Amino acid sequence: MAKVAVVGAGMTRFVRRAQETGRELSWQAAKMALDAAGLRLKDVDAVVIGSAPDAFDGVHMKGEYLADGSGGWCKPTLRCYVGGGTGVFAPIQAWYHIASGRFDTVLVVCEEKMSSCHPHPQGAFLTIFDHTTERALGPNLLWIFALEMNRYMTVHGITKREIAEVAVKNKRNALDHPCAQLGANLTVDDVLASEELAWPVNRLDVSPASDGAAAVVMCSEHVAKRTSPQPVWLEGVGWHLDTAYWTNRDLYYPQYLEYAARMAYDMAGIKEPRKEIHIVEPYDPFDYKELHHLEGLLLCKRGEAARLTVDGVTQRDGDLPVCPSGGLLGVGNPIAAAGLMKVCELFWQLRGEAGKRQVPGMPRRGLAQAWGDLMQVGTVVIMGI
Amino acid sequence: MLSKLTTSAQTRQWPGHIPVEYVYTAGIAGEAFLRALKDRGMLLTSQCPQCQTVYLPARLYCEQCFEETKQYEEIAPKGWVHTYTVAHVDIDGEALAVPQIYAFIRFGGTNGGLIHRLGQTQPHQVSIGMEVEALLLPGKERTGSINDITCFQPTK
Repeated sequence: MAKVAVVGAGMTRFVRRAQETGRELSWQAAKMALDAAGLRLKDVDAVVIGSAPDAFDGVHMKGEYLADGSGGWCKPTLRCYVGGGTGVFAPIQAWYHIASGRFDTVLVVCEEKMSSCHPHPQGAFLTIFDHTTERALGPNLLWIFALEMNRYMTVHGITKREIAEVAVKNKRNALDHPCAQLGANLTVDDVLASEELAWPVNRLDVSPASDGAAAVVMCSEHVAKRTSPQPVWLEGVGWHLDTAYWTNRDLYYPQYLEYAARMAYDMAGIKEPRKEIHIVEPYDPFDYKELHHLEGLLLCKRGEAARLTVDGVTQRDGDLPVCPSGGLLGVGNPIAAAGLMKVCELFWQLRGEAGKRQVPGMPRRGLAQAWGDLMQVGTVVIMGI
Repeated sequence: MLSKLTTSAQTRQWPGHIPVEYVYTAGIAGEAFLRALKDRGMLLTSQCPQCQTVYLPARLYCEQCFEETKQYEEIAPKGWVHTYTVAHVDIDGEALAVPQIYAFIRFGGTNGGLIHRLGQTQPHQVSIGMEVEALLLPGKERTGSINDITCFQPTK
């Protein structure tokens, strides 16, 4: 298989309300990624845009709307979408643009401007539920997560206190991220004492609504070797669905992710993920989802992720650093941009450019993951130097 | 199966809607454009330092070169009709009491243009290339909207 590299990354600050339009946010991130790669727009052969529901920005056909700010002027341009999984799905699209041999250099831009949706982007989710069996009950998005979190806690005997450690860790890590929206020094008690939204989910268990964009530049092997002092290679990609009916999933275990992870590990030739992956950026829109996803990624046994967290294994200086960026809980969650932020983080970490967030010990391989659609899609990339 | 249903009462149906509302911002360049229109009745352009394209309305960046378009300049709202249409029915298909003229208006020394209403004229008097200027709301009534321009009208 042809080798594909990431050679540049960029992102805007993640904020609750940006004055910039979605196009302007996209341009800021894309320009930064190109500048970092030492490339110009004319060097780009094709563009991949990732953005979640049109209903967030309030612009129908958002891919077309974002195209000029994403560098799509007079270029082959594609917009992809798998809900929250989009941010890690977009570089996978770019991967096969390049692995096919058709393109050498692809610009990937992910954007979300959730503040447009008023009074809260939660409103955009009200119509994702089945209009025959569920919408008549007036469900909101938190129900899904609350039901899933409860199932996960109960099956494994995990406490809210243990899960809250994830929020504390990620928000603290985010204090070192210059683009972060919600970096904070909190205690587990602060999380437990925060407003109860839908038991067992409290306010500080949840990532915020955000505006922002992120971008990466990806290249074929011969272009990467010519233009980049340190390409970061895409060693594995995986994406997979589970059933879209949540009543046909157990919810205690993210099967969608195990399928996606196995696909990526197989491509990367990884036999023992726990030993061969040095940094993980799992999707953490809720604190329990980081744990859920570590298990789905086969990085620990089912029900074991909380223990690893409490023992400090997942701290930035731990044996398996998880969300050294600060994750969605700390950096923020402009949906598609948040997933690609994780890919950017691996790029900076593996090149030793993560500054105060740098994971010690010169990590050589990392994994980024996102989750979304109707909560049944997993998207995974494995990157290494 | 539906082909055998002759009235909607034969199947269980219920109404619904997607309840979303939005608050938009004009963006960095868009905000400056609207302020120039509201405060001074002028149109703001921005120029790419690399390819010299002059964007109207002003944009933050050049879509062709990806450079920031740092050079901003205001021009008077006078241009010409690039093309136009005359609407005779509204969005529901109802006949309009007075046909409405919509035009794509270009401005000298710029790329881009504005879509707007044409007024103070009749459809048979409009032609491609005719010179037009903005009819602005009085300063105190302007809100910082493209509708601060009531319409474009033939240049006097």
